[in-house]
Amino acid sequence: MTTLVPLGAFIALSAALFFIGMAGVLVRRNAVVILMCVELMLNAANLALVAFSRRLGLIDERGSVFVVFVFVIAAAEVAVGLAIVLALYRNRPTVDVDEVREMKG
Amino acid sequence: MLDVIEPILFGVLALAIVGAAAGVVLADRVTTSALLMAFTFLNMAGMFVLLGAETIAAFQVLIYVGAITVLILYGVMFTPQAPRAYGLFFQKQTPAGALIAALAGLPVMVIAFAFRDTANIPPRGGDLVPLASSIFTDFAFPFEVASVLLLAAMVGAIVLVKREERGSGSAGPNDTTSPEHSRAKPVIGRARE
Repeated sequence: MTTLVPLGAFIALSAALFFIGMAGVLVRRNAVVILMCVELMLNAANLALVAFSRRLGLIDERGSVFVVFVFVIAAAEVAVGLAIVLALYRNRPTVDVDEVREMKG
Repeated sequence: MLDVIEPILFGVLALAIVGAAAGVVLADRVTTSALLMAFTFLNMAGMFVLLGAETIAAFQVLIYVGAITVLILYGVMFTPQAPRAYGLFFQKQTPAGALIAALAGLPVMVIAFAFRDTANIPPRGGDLVPLASSIFTDFAFPFEVASVLLLAAMVGAIVLVKREERGSGSAGPNDTTSPEHSRAKPVIGRARE
């Protein structure tokens, strides 16, 4: 069975998703939405890792192992990130990252 | 016949992923963003199946669509979501923004499409056995470190949302996938009082 979808298409989709997530991180000011966009960027990196691992042939199956680690990091990141957002919301009634500027020089 | 199915599937999944991801960024309501994010992750699982990584696709559905989306939805639930318009898109900088996006995006796309398939891995057969043998032999130590990281994240999340005052005592973490859930409930309850 021939693979008709080229590797470049997967990498291009991954880049597009990464840039969409980056635009979200830069544009949105809600901390929860920023977390969501960071998850999108992590997932785009996962797609690139799996595509390279399955199609490039240089690395056998090990790219997929890194995807598993990225899953772990993403889960830990979103748990701690939401805890930080909740702690922030307890101290001041906002989740707008523009309104939290105590440590701004 | 079978050769046409795969590009069609790729096109449908790619459209859904890009559209839903753009919806995550552009949606006014945060709940809409969260559910569109879940939809993006689900379509990404389909993309992993298309790449022949079924185990990763299963992990994707379990962790991203299951755990992370639920966590994000809890975060949406416990925080106030002001309906704030995103005033940054489509202003008068749109031509300059489009120019910069094109200048940045074109080289990226050229580089992306420059990659060619060189593997002779059979697309059938799944990736569970190589993945598992790789994790538990070559990557056994990082695997254990990852478990320690998860434990540290769980403890950290509990400590961060813990209230020192009365009554916050001894509930304990009862769910490892949503550590702040059990602690975060009193927060919104007190905030409403």
